[in-house]
Amino acid sequence: MDYEAVIGLEIHIQLNSDTKMFCNCPNRPGDEPNKNTCPVCLWFPGAIPQFSGEVLEKAALAALALNCEIQDHTAFDQKVYYYPDLPKGYQLSQFHKPLAKNGWIEINDDEGRPKRIGIRQVHMEEDVARLVHETEGKTPISLVDFNRAGTPLIEIVSEPDIRNSHEAMEYIKVLRSQIRYVGSAECSMEQGTMRVDANISIRPRGSDHFNTKVEVKNMNSIHNVGAAITYEISRQAERLNAGESIVLHTRLWDPDRNVTVAMRGKFEGPCVPDPSVPPIIVSHEWLSDIRSRLPEMPSGKSERFIRQYGLTRDEAVLMSSERDLSEYFEAVAGDAVTPRTAYQWIMTQLNPLLKDYRQTISETVVTPKRLASLLAMLESDVLNAKSAREVLSKLFESDQTPEAIVEQYGFRQVSDSDELEGLVEQVLSDNPQAIDDFKAGNEKALGFLIGQGMRASQGKANPKLMKDMITRKLQE
Amino acid sequence: MPVECNKGEFVMITEIFTYIDPEPPVPANGGSLEGITVAVQPTMGVRGWPTEAGSVALERYVALEDATVVDRLRREGATIIGSTRISELGFGLVGDTSARAVSEGAVDVALAMDTMGEARIAAASAHLFGYKPSYGIVSRFGLIGLIPSMECFGMIARTPREISSVLSVMAGKDDHDFSMSDEFPDFESFDAVTVENVKLGVVREAMEFLDQDAYRAFRSSLSYLEKAGMSIREVSLDEYDLFRTIHNVIGSVEASSSAGKYDGVRYGHRAQAVKNWNEMYLKSRGEAFGLPVKAYLFQGAYFQFENYEAFDSACRIRSMLVRLMESLHETVDYLILPMKSGNVPASDMKTIDEIYGLCSHALPANVTGVPVIYMPGGLFGRETDPGFQLLAPRLGDARLLAFAAHLFDQAEGGV
Repeated sequence: MDYEAVIGLEIHIQLNSDTKMFCNCPNRPGDEPNKNTCPVCLWFPGAIPQFSGEVLEKAALAALALNCEIQDHTAFDQKVYYYPDLPKGYQLSQFHKPLAKNGWIEINDDEGRPKRIGIRQVHMEEDVARLVHETEGKTPISLVDFNRAGTPLIEIVSEPDIRNSHEAMEYIKVLRSQIRYVGSAECSMEQGTMRVDANISIRPRGSDHFNTKVEVKNMNSIHNVGAAITYEISRQAERLNAGESIVLHTRLWDPDRNVTVAMRGKFEGPCVPDPSVPPIIVSHEWLSDIRSRLPEMPSGKSERFIRQYGLTRDEAVLMSSERDLSEYFEAVAGDAVTPRTAYQWIMTQLNPLLKDYRQTISETVVTPKRLASLLAMLESDVLNAKSAREVLSKLFESDQTPEAIVEQYGFRQVSDSDELEGLVEQVLSDNPQAIDDFKAGNEKALGFLIGQGMRASQGKANPKLMKDMITRKLQE
Repeated sequence: MPVECNKGEFVMITEIFTYIDPEPPVPANGGSLEGITVAVQPTMGVRGWPTEAGSVALERYVALEDATVVDRLRREGATIIGSTRISELGFGLVGDTSARAVSEGAVDVALAMDTMGEARIAAASAHLFGYKPSYGIVSRFGLIGLIPSMECFGMIARTPREISSVLSVMAGKDDHDFSMSDEFPDFESFDAVTVENVKLGVVREAMEFLDQDAYRAFRSSLSYLEKAGMSIREVSLDEYDLFRTIHNVIGSVEASSSAGKYDGVRYGHRAQAVKNWNEMYLKSRGEAFGLPVKAYLFQGAYFQFENYEAFDSACRIRSMLVRLMESLHETVDYLILPMKSGNVPASDMKTIDEIYGLCSHALPANVTGVPVIYMPGGLFGRETDPGFQLLAPRLGDARLLAFAAHLFDQAEGGV
């Protein structure tokens, strides 16, 4: 039978606020264990949670980035369960009154057509402590690190609008890009600041039924999400074809064996309104202030890049995918540098060097200003491309201006025809065979002669001028 | 941040106090509470004091920080003498000594956590005034509570004026407690009140819970007010019997969550010789809690896990009760309720049913968050009269206490 998959994703994202959600401890889970703790996040008796305004702002910005409606009245619930990573017996989360509802983002489906994926809700919740089980040694022990306890998360619940791995991966990429744009989170699956769970069911194509779903967890990269979904769809299809039925349960992705494995039934606790954290009433003023902080989002920006800079759609999408990159691009592309040159140099020259030097686009020593002056020299024929690449490398090692480097190392291009005249004469008299070949109709001989001329100039000759002069001489 | 308990072991113990401060800090000069002595309970944080909340679950727990209330009282010159005895986690009144600390002259004012009427009921056993403030005007920071939406710092004292002066210091905004009210009573503006034209309303359905003797005694307590020229009319609250059920359902659910943190890992009692963490939890908690608390936590877990709908209904009914109380207060200045239904000592009430039976008339103020004062019987009638409760609208604390002080002055003056 021909099946169609129905997929919904639940994505947890750790917000990058300075403090935890209900206390002033630093939001740095990776510090030395149990360093960032206080009576509130250790849940000592008599402590009262104090909800952070910064967390609310970051969460609201993220929700707005996903086109959600922020709810006027939102509140925290206690998700009750007992486990050593949650020593107060409940997790503060939002169930009855989530922060935001009814959002969407647009992706391209596997045939490149735009498709809207609905977002049911975005809610806030605190993260739990980290457990370390030491099984070596005589007595196995479990250690608890509270640095992560009480750090802020948002959970983004999609509608079951996703149909295959491609769409799931696109959804995660677009969502990640939009949330990074508003600066609320880093969203790294590899570093655990973004965790994706997938709810997957299948049905005969054309049906509008929702069948029993299976939850798949433990994918630590976007690639793994795609692989796990593809595997799970075919696993469920095989089961159904074999006459078995699908039961509601949770499976873990095993990245080594590329399979999903059933895990023990997880207990879902009740959600009880929390009496200690007051409900949040969102005022019109507050919301318009948050809205005013929303930057231009990637989809709008890429349209503008096409219009304003004449980039192709693919180039524009790429240049606007990350806010830092898009801002860098716009800072380089200006009066003296054409957008196309800026785009090409960022993608083909700057990016590999950033990797080599382990720098990010927002923090690199090659500031947009330095790259722009370099490219301006290239475009006004002060430099040729080869020299410009060498200057770019040197910019990573030196804090001099590109102009100073050009002068110091003599990269200035020779565009003076008197100076080149002698070179051209020399090259022609050294290569009579090539001249004969050219006159016999071999076009390649021209290229050879230009190459010899460039070499003789130590790469500094203006290649266009060199070509013109040699061509003229040959035709004399 | 290890905090050492003053003087090491808990040696400063008497029949009334679980802990007495061996070296109280020198009181601040010139404050409004200069010379006033105060007792706290072991559910109230005083940095460095044992704060076991009457429970094995918190054995040897020492407070890390001062409760906001403690800090405010000391700044105004009050001396915190020590910590009285309390029933486990303040649930019920078995072994509670807060009222004795006042009646035996150890302190001027005893703070008593009031979650279901404890401060008022304890006061009633010793012919003292008992008070529960409006919810949200006194910071709960540093209070080891059980039912966050109902619990308050209650007070027991010999006169309403002492309560008023202590409350005016305790009340006020605190950045540690976000659940506080945005508005606060103005204690300055109610120095002089008159009883002329004061409208009092006694709740008819509450009196139906009293047997004949208790009813006669209650009416006798009120006769003073009538003699003083105040009119008391009957008002009706059909849903009166719901207060008990609603408090019981919501209270046990909140208690179950609040007590979830007592796992014996970070502090308190930890069972020995266990195989794994799960067994450690079960055994530690099993050994830590006494029967009434255990039963109450079980009940709360039942509503959380098995009957959420009942809890949900209880929350809705609670909102309705708040509105009904508000509308009653539109027709009268103060509501009158009896305090006790019978004469069984509070310390004998040990099951959930018995505890709720003891507290039933105290619960409306906790469920709806309004201020209430217990007026002792001896003042206004015969020594054996049970006294009564006066309830005001939320945030009406200053006016209520000024009114109570006025009645007290008149009674003392032998009117």
